[in-house]
Amino acid sequence: MGKNNSIKTVWIALLIFLFLPFILSAPLATEMLIYSLFALGFNILLGQTGVISFGHAAYFGLGAYFAGIALRYFGSSVWTSLLASIVVGGVAAVLIGALSIKKKGVYFAMISLAFAQMFYFLALSALKKWTGGEDGLKFIPILKLDFPFHVDLASPYPLYFFVYFIVALSIFAIWRILESPFGRLLQAIRENEERTEACGFDTTMAKFISLVFSGIFSGLAGGLLTVYLGYVPVTTLFWMTSGTVVMMTILGGMHSFIGPVVGASLFLLLQDEISYLTDRWEMYVGAMFMALVLLFPEGIVGTIKDKIETKRKRVQESQWVGDVS
Amino acid sequence: MKKVLWLLVSAFALVTCFSTVTLAQTARFGEAIPLTGPYAAMAEDMKRGSMLALEEINAAGGVLGKPAEVLITDSQLKADVTIRRFKDMMDQGYKFIGGSLSGGISLVGNEFACKNKLLYMAFCHTSIPVGKEFCGYGFTSAVIPYQPASALANYAFKNFGKKWMSLTADYRWGHDNLAAWLVNSEKYGGEFLGNIYHPLGTRDFSAFIPQILAKKPDFLVVTNYGTDQASAIKQLAELGLTKKMKIVISKTHIITIKETGAAFDENVYGSSTFYWHLQDKYPEAKTFVKTFWDKYGSPPSQDGECAYTATKVVFSAMNKAGVVDDVDKVIETIVSNKWPSPKGPTEWRPCDHARLQSICILQGKGAKAKDWDVATLVAEVPYTETLESCENNKKDIPYGQVKLPGK
Amino acid sequence: MLFGFPPEIYLMQIVFGLALGAIYVLLASGLSIIFGLLDVINFAHGTFYMLGAYAVYVAVSLTGNFWIGLVCAVLIVALFGALTEWTLLKRLYKEEPFYPLLLTFGMAVAIPDAMKFIFGLIGKVVEYPSGLVGAIMAGPILLPKYRLFIIVLTAFVMILLWLFLKKSDLGMIIRAATRDSLMVQVLGVNVSRIWTVGFSIGVGLAALGGAVAAPMVSAVPDMGVEMTVECFVVVVIGGLGSLGGAILGGLIIGQVVSFVSLFAGDYSNVAIFFAMAVILLIRPRGLFGEAGRL
Repeated sequence: MGKNNSIKTVWIALLIFLFLPFILSAPLATEMLIYSLFALGFNILLGQTGVISFGHAAYFGLGAYFAGIALRYFGSSVWTSLLASIVVGGVAAVLIGALSIKKKGVYFAMISLAFAQMFYFLALSALKKWTGGEDGLKFIPILKLDFPFHVDLASPYPLYFFVYFIVALSIFAIWRILESPFGRLLQAIRENEERTEACGFDTTMAKFISLVFSGIFSGLAGGLLTVYLGYVPVTTLFWMTSGTVVMMTILGGMHSFIGPVVGASLFLLLQDEISYLTDRWEMYVGAMFMALVLLFPEGIVGTIKDKIETKRKRVQESQWVGDVS
Repeated sequence: MKKVLWLLVSAFALVTCFSTVTLAQTARFGEAIPLTGPYAAMAEDMKRGSMLALEEINAAGGVLGKPAEVLITDSQLKADVTIRRFKDMMDQGYKFIGGSLSGGISLVGNEFACKNKLLYMAFCHTSIPVGKEFCGYGFTSAVIPYQPASALANYAFKNFGKKWMSLTADYRWGHDNLAAWLVNSEKYGGEFLGNIYHPLGTRDFSAFIPQILAKKPDFLVVTNYGTDQASAIKQLAELGLTKKMKIVISKTHIITIKETGAAFDENVYGSSTFYWHLQDKYPEAKTFVKTFWDKYGSPPSQDGECAYTATKVVFSAMNKAGVVDDVDKVIETIVSNKWPSPKGPTEWRPCDHARLQSICILQGKGAKAKDWDVATLVAEVPYTETLESCENNKKDIPYGQVKLPGK
Repeated sequence: MLFGFPPEIYLMQIVFGLALGAIYVLLASGLSIIFGLLDVINFAHGTFYMLGAYAVYVAVSLTGNFWIGLVCAVLIVALFGALTEWTLLKRLYKEEPFYPLLLTFGMAVAIPDAMKFIFGLIGKVVEYPSGLVGAIMAGPILLPKYRLFIIVLTAFVMILLWLFLKKSDLGMIIRAATRDSLMVQVLGVNVSRIWTVGFSIGVGLAALGGAVAAPMVSAVPDMGVEMTVECFVVVVIGGLGSLGGAILGGLIIGQVVSFVSLFAGDYSNVAIFFAMAVILLIRPRGLFGEAGRL
């Protein structure tokens, strides 16, 4: 990904998001931001490192729950709760990674699914006193920010811009990570892990760190969800959430930086809009997803990029031919 | 270029503001029900009931002279989607929201209404009137989870015997029912032989059967819902339990009875807040059932009746109070009047917003069931026998104090 | 009395565990064949299970006979599977390995909803075949006829499968292609067709599981969702790529769920995940998984 190109797309995306709550609705736009962050975090592992996980709901859900627990049982501030979600996302990634990162592709995907399901069932019954079981975590107080200035997080637009601020910072942080030498190393691992290893790099450690970063941002997204909802649903840990973030990322294009953002936003928009037209929207979304995988595996952004590349090449070639003749 | 952009943005902003202002005079009710997901068929019935109510309200002149509006959205049986729907509605100026099939999600809707001072009318069995859930803004057009158990317990202990066991879906609604059964067992001198929890979504109940056969209860209480219930009854019948004991289902549904087929025979009983056979007893039910059936091709289930009555009441209360956006006034109006419903006049208690309604006990027909004539109505238990006092509800007594086995 | 239950109870639990395990065996063996042969994780495996249940409903409604219905159901769904593999899945083999997985995931989302569209939202009742209603009483032990049938049928099908794979020519090619598809291709076999056959056998087994389960649970559009995850767990426990492992895994899980149901019903669905975690920690490739396969 061209360094200058991808940062441009980030700025354009952020600009669009500035107006989005007024064009669509503030709640929908807020969810788009949150799931964009989740998908971006997820894509650190998938698009950049080439490792697919079917258990990312674990980091998202744990982030959401710990933020909620901090807010409800410890009366902490919103900042502290978000910090909690970041920490738990990272810690969970460390634990799960330690047990599974060495496993190859498909195995890792299934193990991550199993762990996520275990957390789900724990939240559902064993730890019900803390999590509220299948009712979810309720009775979180009405939220507001006091530092550095007062923000009423119960109102849609202040809430939106608070989430916007956090997500924007995170996007830049992720961009930094992916464009750094470490990011290049992850790409190398994605392209050919054995070769990278042969060059002397500790690929297992690199993948592990990639997973931890992925967990941190996914956890933060979960924490933001709690702040937005004022409640933690148990579905945040359910495997369908893991599946959804995979779909969103693929839809947008896993090999571009901004792809996951586009994918997450479009997915939510479609889910919202199509359900007004028909109750059977899952049929259309599923079919569309299948068509996507078959015809446009690079996702929306990836396919657009490819088209632009092909066009540019053609122009270059015709110029070259022109030069020669 | 910049100017054009700013013009567009201001235009959008104006349009949104303006539309909210003009619509504020229309009576609107926003619902979030699980039109997709495992209970889609039941939610469909809610949608129908609500739309029928809307039609009737508008045919009679609407609310304050203008046609009323109902917005029905899909909650996908998810709490976060429900909250998104309600946030959107609130954004658009809706003050009256409702819906929900899941008790758990109804509590989330209730909490949202409490935090934002909206009126929330649930369509389902929920604990909104109980304990710390109640805040004054939530209602339900159904009953509290412990009520069906109380209704059935009296009948069961009187007619089937004293020894009982239970098979309970392991989630809050299941636990609430089990607690109610345990309290009633004490009350009627029942002998509790044990409880079996099963996870939501269990397909194969055979592994739970041997212990039931060993204990030989007079009746088995089954507390689960939807497909779980259909599977459970089918397999209980397959394994011969329906011949050895009576099966008493805490809450059943005509769709589930139909899905179960011949296995739901004369030894299987269940509760429902409404059954279309009530048309023989109440003229209002007769009209309601006929209109609904003619329009939609199948009779209204309890979900249809709850949604219908809820929608009717919200709009009627607006009419009576003379307002479309004063939530407190509408709440006041609802609790201080009696309202017509398919089960005769109905009312909501001011202290905890519980609906004072009866519960029907149904008996299966097995192979004799034909089309939608799937059950016999054996009893209609009045609310006086099932609903606790406000004081008790506030403190969640006695059911909240029960120590559940194995928990 | 042992732990509060008379011994007959334990015998019954074992029998019920076998019946439970049988369905898992059918599904897990199908999944294992697909994975072994095509290197594809079929996320829609539960969906084919559901299709089997609906197919038997349709077939029984049309023919009035459960047995004909059963056979037709499996054949129809196997054919549908072959069609899917040929037209859709095949295009993705040249892409990254998880694209086929994603396609099957899309199917798992779209097809159940399509069933709601076609058949409506209410589940479809399939009655038990008349010969298998009721139970055999062996003393105090109740042995439901239909459950016994499931156990016998699955054993029969597994023996058939084993004979097919070990003794027939096509079976030998399939085994070879599982080991090394490139080599098989080099030897002049159209391995692409083998893959189609393998996929349709795999989903055919899943459909058989669904068809057989239909009288017990009714045909419901979402019945496959949990099943997919559960049969994955069974295959992982048995070892990805090992048919024997899938069978053993299915039987073990059947017993685990049965006995956990007896003592702690509320944990019966978590039990399989715990079992998987334990096995993965002790023996990461599963019971019979091949080392280096992954």
